Amino acid sequence: MSEIDSLKAQLESLQADALNAFAAAENLNALQQLRVQYLGKKGALTEVLKGVGKLPPADRPVIGQHVNATKSALAAGLEACETTLAEKEKIARIEAERIDVSLPGRTKGKGALHPVQNGLDEISMIFSQMGFVVAEGPEIEDEFHNFDALNIPPEHPARAMHDTFFVKEMGNGEKSEPMLLRTHTSPVQIRTMKRFLAEGGEPPLAVVAPGRVYRCDYDVTHSPMFHQVEVFKVDRDVSMAHLKGVLKHFLSTYFEKDVAIRLRPHYFPFTEPSAEVDIGCVFCAGKGCRICKGSGWIEVLGSGMIHPNVLQSVGIDSEEFSGFAFGLGVERLVMLKQGIPDLRLFFENDVRFLSRMGVNK
Amino acid sequence: MKIPFSWLKEHVALTATPMQIADDLVRLGHEVEAVEMPRAAVVGVRVGLIASKQPHPDADKLSLLKVDVGDAEALDIVCGASNMDEGDKIPVATLGTVLPNGLKIKKGKIRGETSCGMCCSETELGLAEASAGLLILPADAPVGAEVGAYLKLEEAVFDLSITPNRGDCMNVRGIARDLAADAGLPLNDLDLHAVAIDTSVADAIVTVSAEQDCPVYMARSIKGITVVDSPAWMQAKLIQAGQRPVNGVVDVLNTIMLDLGQPMHAFDADTVSGSINVSSAQGGESFSALDGRELTLNAGDLLVNDASGVIALAGIMGSEPTGVRETTTNIVLESAFFRPARISETRRVYAMVSEASMRFERGVDPDMVAVAMQRATNMIIDLFGGSASEVTVCGDAGSVNADASGASRQVNASVSRIETRLGIEIPVAVDDVLVRMGFALQRNGDALTVSVPTFRHDVSIPEDISEEYARVIGFDKIPELLPPLATTAPAQQDRSVHDAVGAGFLQVINYAFISASEQRLFVAQDDLDIALENPISDAMSVMRRSVWPGLLNTARYNMNRQQSGVSLVEQGRVYLKNQKAENSHDEINVIAWLMSGDVEQDDWFGNARQADFFDLKGAVNAWLTLRGLTGRFIADDSMQGLQAGQSAKILVGRAEAGRIGRVDGDIASSLDIDTPVFVAEINLDALTTGKQAKFVPLPEFPGVERDLVFLFERTVSSEAILNAVKSAAGKMLTDARIFDRYDGKGVPDGFVSLGIRFALQDGKRTLTQEDSDTASQAVIAAMDKRFGAMLRG
Ligand SMILES: [Zn+2]
Repeated sequence: MSEIDSLKAQLESLQADALNAFAAAENLNALQQLRVQYLGKKGALTEVLKGVGKLPPADRPVIGQHVNATKSALAAGLEACETTLAEKEKIARIEAERIDVSLPGRTKGKGALHPVQNGLDEISMIFSQMGFVVAEGPEIEDEFHNFDALNIPPEHPARAMHDTFFVKEMGNGEKSEPMLLRTHTSPVQIRTMKRFLAEGGEPPLAVVAPGRVYRCDYDVTHSPMFHQVEVFKVDRDVSMAHLKGVLKHFLSTYFEKDVAIRLRPHYFPFTEPSAEVDIGCVFCAGKGCRICKGSGWIEVLGSGMIHPNVLQSVGIDSEEFSGFAFGLGVERLVMLKQGIPDLRLFFENDVRFLSRMGVNK
Repeated sequence: MKIPFSWLKEHVALTATPMQIADDLVRLGHEVEAVEMPRAAVVGVRVGLIASKQPHPDADKLSLLKVDVGDAEALDIVCGASNMDEGDKIPVATLGTVLPNGLKIKKGKIRGETSCGMCCSETELGLAEASAGLLILPADAPVGAEVGAYLKLEEAVFDLSITPNRGDCMNVRGIARDLAADAGLPLNDLDLHAVAIDTSVADAIVTVSAEQDCPVYMARSIKGITVVDSPAWMQAKLIQAGQRPVNGVVDVLNTIMLDLGQPMHAFDADTVSGSINVSSAQGGESFSALDGRELTLNAGDLLVNDASGVIALAGIMGSEPTGVRETTTNIVLESAFFRPARISETRRVYAMVSEASMRFERGVDPDMVAVAMQRATNMIIDLFGGSASEVTVCGDAGSVNADASGASRQVNASVSRIETRLGIEIPVAVDDVLVRMGFALQRNGDALTVSVPTFRHDVSIPEDISEEYARVIGFDKIPELLPPLATTAPAQQDRSVHDAVGAGFLQVINYAFISASEQRLFVAQDDLDIALENPISDAMSVMRRSVWPGLLNTARYNMNRQQSGVSLVEQGRVYLKNQKAENSHDEINVIAWLMSGDVEQDDWFGNARQADFFDLKGAVNAWLTLRGLTGRFIADDSMQGLQAGQSAKILVGRAEAGRIGRVDGDIASSLDIDTPVFVAEINLDALTTGKQAKFVPLPEFPGVERDLVFLFERTVSSEAILNAVKSAAGKMLTDARIFDRYDGKGVPDGFVSLGIRFALQDGKRTLTQEDSDTASQAVIAAMDKRFGAMLRG
């Protein structure tokens, strides 16, 4: 065999060996080593090329072509194996990094709004969207705003029914005006109307006044502190039909269904006519159940047309203007909506209750 | 107030069932607490199903029935009625039943055929005077059920809650009047007959010196009575109406009060010395009340006196010694109208409630004063003997409701305005209902003039007339109409508590009153507390000045119930007297947090971790950041109830807006909380809204970061260090923070190793190694100069 043929044979065998070795490489690392082994400065191909110098000059270009062909075959082989191996390794890595996405995420506790807060938010929102403006007032009130201005003079029997908490003398000097914890949010009606008029306003005036109220009464169905929302509107020609319309809209929106409402004549000193408002029982759809005591109706709030004495007490001409007002118990509505059986749960603040019944938004 | 159905029927011939009556009452504005159905009267009458009907072999008009009453075997009953068929359901009085007419049902033979019960008509059940044939029950009546219970037809008792404006309805006749007017039935006339006067009996001598409070007072002597128990029918009536029989005379007066609404009083005439005078108290008089209390009276109380002293707190309670007892033979009867406001005030002052005062303070019918006197006299003489004097009358019933000119009360109204404000039309026909209720109406075009009956003290303005119309027409006839609504944009909602909730805190709501000792946990003694005059208990006696005591209680409650950690937030007011203005107070809106125990649970990614100061500080800072605010936390060892060295005041801007810290260990352990408790409180009213940020161009050139680690004395605050870094590093500094803190092995006692990372950037060029070296040198020099801090390795 001539020198050149021997070299050709060596190149061929090297190429075959190399391509086999590349294909057999288990990973990119191994492949890298093979690259060095065959194509490196001290690699097998270099080794073969040393023999080229011994060839007669005429043979050199011929063998040069062979060498180049072998080089590119090896390079192509390497690249193909590299791609395959990279693909394989990526798949392996993805498998290795697979996680259990059903494991819980890292959180900072589970916050929740108190259900009463959520109720207050919902109620205020419904009235805000109807154009009622939110107002607030003090919880420690005087007798004028809590009673007198609301047409409840001192000797009035209704006054005794309010189970009022009185505050100990706050002044140091001579006997000051008795103060009390407001028994309802109705005094906000007085304060808001007075402020509104003092600022030069003129009806229409539509207000929603949420807040805490207090009654000296503590048992299974009574809490000494609870939340009310007072809603009122004063304008020309406000009618009892408007009262019913607003009640219907509010109660249906709040309970997220079309609820029937029933007004029963009642007595409140600050409204005339006055009405207790029932809704068709949300538990039995009016068929009668334990919650509604078989009547199909559940009492939810007290309402009426603002008594002319109340309007006059703040300086609104009751000949020209009329208004409606109602006060609703937030806890009661929340209990009905969420099926909470016991008022006391709201103020026990058991975190199991709060995180279950509360809302995070 | 309890009203037996039969008593109502004494005044009006009602035909509706008790449940229908109850609905009518509700519609008219009388709240029905309950319709009580005592069942004793007809126990044993059950619903029977006629299984078969055969003619009696020996009697044309009798039938042989097999009736299923739900027992194993059907009953054989011989029946004389003819209106029933197989498959009908009828009331069956089973063996042993006693019918209202006294008939006891026994097993027997009728014309040779066995009969084991009796089929009943309405008459036999005591439901009607006469009836034609058996009462055929509805087809769905449950076989075997008690008929009384099923039909609710027994003597029903209405338990009513009369609103305070309707004093006229605190008696059977008043309720009957409303029902009669509504149903279009006549109200029966009162059966009154003249009293036989015995002129030998001396008249009671009465003077009234408090005419304002006592416009009408009538008295009469009755001599020679024998006080025995009232008859059984009267006692039964009283018991049904919820009253306890006392003695004959008192029972008669109570019966009349319940029937007609006029409270009366009887004095034992032999214990009354001299004449009777009705006057206002001077103040200081003593009074032995019938309920056993000894009172010292206030000026202005309305009194009934005799020559020796007070014999009654008018309209509220008689005196103990002058009361009628079994041995009484001579009495003085009193019937009067007392001014409601006077009775109300006195009753409130002495916390006395009597059936009489409840009626007087709501206003009785002045025209009933004489009627009640006449009826009581007749009943007493009929039942207990004796002879009566003439009535002594002081004052004039007509004056009670008269206006200044002496005319009776009239209300002028406009029909169209009533219609506008109710939102319905008022048909003229409705006027008849009001007339039946005692009003006199005159329509003249739109003008309406209404004369108000003497018993309706609640009607004086057009709105009262409007209410009368509304309730007789029915509130359900008023349409539901949305008024024109304003389109103002809703104000921004306060998100304070919502943001805290979003950060993982549970919102709680505690009572605004706490105990005096809880108040002192976090607020030093001063005179700014607001205490309640009449608290529910000592535990709820002072208005809170901090939300923390409530949060602590909530933490205890829950940690005693196996919660390993709590993160709580509460928003609400705190209350205190205003130091500057006499007799005024402040209500401050605050938000407060509490963290204790595990903030992180044992979990798949880590171990449980207990809350520390920085968990809470981080939460408060994040909350402030959401409102565009920055808080500065200034160490303060002097805060009540917080542990020195772990407490700080929170400054927002220049205002001291809150405080934060670890609850004193003794306080926590007194509450059985054995993990550190951290609390924070921020005064929402002290916060200004943060400004929205103005745009600053983002840097175009990269910055550099450098880390330097120093050994500091422990007492140096990181805030001071970072401030010093900021001033040393120059204008290019964009951030500086503590990235590492170590005080373990290798760090000498009293020292701490702090790693400081600061970032530099320039808006105009890329920074070089030289820039950061210069800044580092400046920082190292500053740390040495300010704090004597050494650069570590
Ligand atoms: Zn129901």
